[in-house]
Amino acid sequence: MLDLPGGHVRGGFLMKTILIIMVYLIFAPLLGGLLAGIDRWISARMQARFGPPIWQPFYDVLKLRQKENIVVRRSQNFYIFFFLLFIIFTGGLFFAGYDLLLVIFALTLAGIFFVLGAYKASSPYSFLGAERELLQMMAYEPMVILVAIGMYMVTGSFYIADINSFPHPLLRYLPGLFLGFVFILVIKFRKSPFDLSMSHHAHQELVRGIITEFSGKTLAWIEIAHWYENVFLLGIVYLFCASQPLAGCLLALAVYFMVILVDNVFARLKWQTMLESSWAAAAVLGLGNIIVLHFLR
Amino acid sequence: MGSPFKKSPWVIHYDASSCNGCDIEVLACLTPVYDVERLGIINTGNPKHADIFLVTGSVNEQNKEVVQNIYQQLPEPKVVVAIGICATSGCIFRDCYNIQGGVDKVIPVDVYVPGCAARPEAIIDGIIQSLRVLEEKRQIMSSMSGSIDQMIVEKANQSDLPEILALQKIAYQSEQEIYANSSLEPLNQTMKELEQEFRSMTFLKVMVNGKIIGTIRGYKQGETAYLSREAVHPYFQGKGLGSRLIKEMESYFPLTNRFEVFTWFKSKRNIYLYEKNGYRQFKTEQVSETMEYVYLEKIVKAKGSQDEEQ
Repeated sequence: MLDLPGGHVRGGFLMKTILIIMVYLIFAPLLGGLLAGIDRWISARMQARFGPPIWQPFYDVLKLRQKENIVVRRSQNFYIFFFLLFIIFTGGLFFAGYDLLLVIFALTLAGIFFVLGAYKASSPYSFLGAERELLQMMAYEPMVILVAIGMYMVTGSFYIADINSFPHPLLRYLPGLFLGFVFILVIKFRKSPFDLSMSHHAHQELVRGIITEFSGKTLAWIEIAHWYENVFLLGIVYLFCASQPLAGCLLALAVYFMVILVDNVFARLKWQTMLESSWAAAAVLGLGNIIVLHFLR
Repeated sequence: MGSPFKKSPWVIHYDASSCNGCDIEVLACLTPVYDVERLGIINTGNPKHADIFLVTGSVNEQNKEVVQNIYQQLPEPKVVVAIGICATSGCIFRDCYNIQGGVDKVIPVDVYVPGCAARPEAIIDGIIQSLRVLEEKRQIMSSMSGSIDQMIVEKANQSDLPEILALQKIAYQSEQEIYANSSLEPLNQTMKELEQEFRSMTFLKVMVNGKIIGTIRGYKQGETAYLSREAVHPYFQGKGLGSRLIKEMESYFPLTNRFEVFTWFKSKRNIYLYEKNGYRQFKTEQVSETMEYVYLEKIVKAKGSQDEEQ
């Protein structure tokens, strides 16, 4: 999935784009679910447990589809549907090789729908989760945009197809941006220490935060959206080393493993710490990298 | 591949009272030694995500409503496992003035795990046993929702009364949720009272696959026919069954010009249902500080013109 030949798409081969999007639609959730299963297995091993089977996330989603869907207001599910739709759209644009800026805007829009869904549910838990989700978005958004700018400065294009076909690994020019992006990935993957709006683990102080009021099929949508999103995010990691596809895939997997390790090592931090540290990372690693790049060129 | 329910049972745990021994043993199941996550079991901490409700300890006056509230928030299909002897029967606490008894005094329990404290192995076994019940409930749910078009509406017999009473208690839980009050009459009706009503009223039942999923009763006094205790199983609500039952019941009183029903003031869904079927509010009655009855009537001008009335 990660080494799709996006470079040839922009030539106008509509069929090829459609094919890539079809492959993405089918295989991204499979890969995402598998990664989630591996995550749970590795986490369990890190905690000296046996852990669930690798396919556990799929069992969970299949089960949730058959559960009753309890809602506070029916429209809350509508927002979540659009969250899923725009997450899929984001990944589709990305893997088809379109504009990175458009991809980022679509991702943000998806996040906003998620927050609106939680607000619509009008429960104190989901309100708090939604507010924290907004804080998380504030925390990671600068870094995501800086990544796009950095990639543009190196490759001269915002098009992912062009970035993908750049002959040298971007990591060589953008090490700071890469580290900063890995930092905010912990937020995006909803991992400790930044799993403020919702946690994968039960019995944290917010119950399940932003997803408290969602059940049944809607909860399954959220889970599937998360799979799509994870694959897309690892795709961005891959871009940092796209000139060597194998190394790029290994880089993405290594980052994923590291995020799991961080998740198991750290306790949750306060939102102030999250905001300050991720902005500091964006300013020092991200902006610093861009300034250095500007003067070296 | 079997049912996903067997592979992904998510639990929520509530400790009602007593010594917390079983509470600690439930949490011990999550530790690396027992590691229930290997069976796909997750402690969700959120009733809306859970399939299995684990209750430890006997239920007391103060947390009776908490237990009911959590139970009501679990999406169907759901099962309840009572863990430890206190949750099963109240045990040594059963005679205390503030103790209700076992969990089954306040919510329906599917699996009992005795023990003091119940060992983690027994708790895990109890959860696995409950999966069979969960699967049965899921099958009933899906087979019934697949055959809603084959339902039969007919007069109920004396032998249907226990099932009707059980259905009434399930269906009126949504009302209990609205008023946070378990003293509503339909929830506390006894079999004897129901049998008495059966002698003076006409009972209708809706059957799907041999199970009663809806009921209504009515009687005529003077010029007015009174409809009451309409109940539809939660799986089948919102599918037009309520309106159909009202129409069927009305047709049992053909020469009647006036129909009357009552409901409770916050039950907007019921009021909407009756208004949709041509009923109009004509009086309210304050019966206690927190409860108000709403009376609705439907006047039929001439025989056979019921449809125009709307």
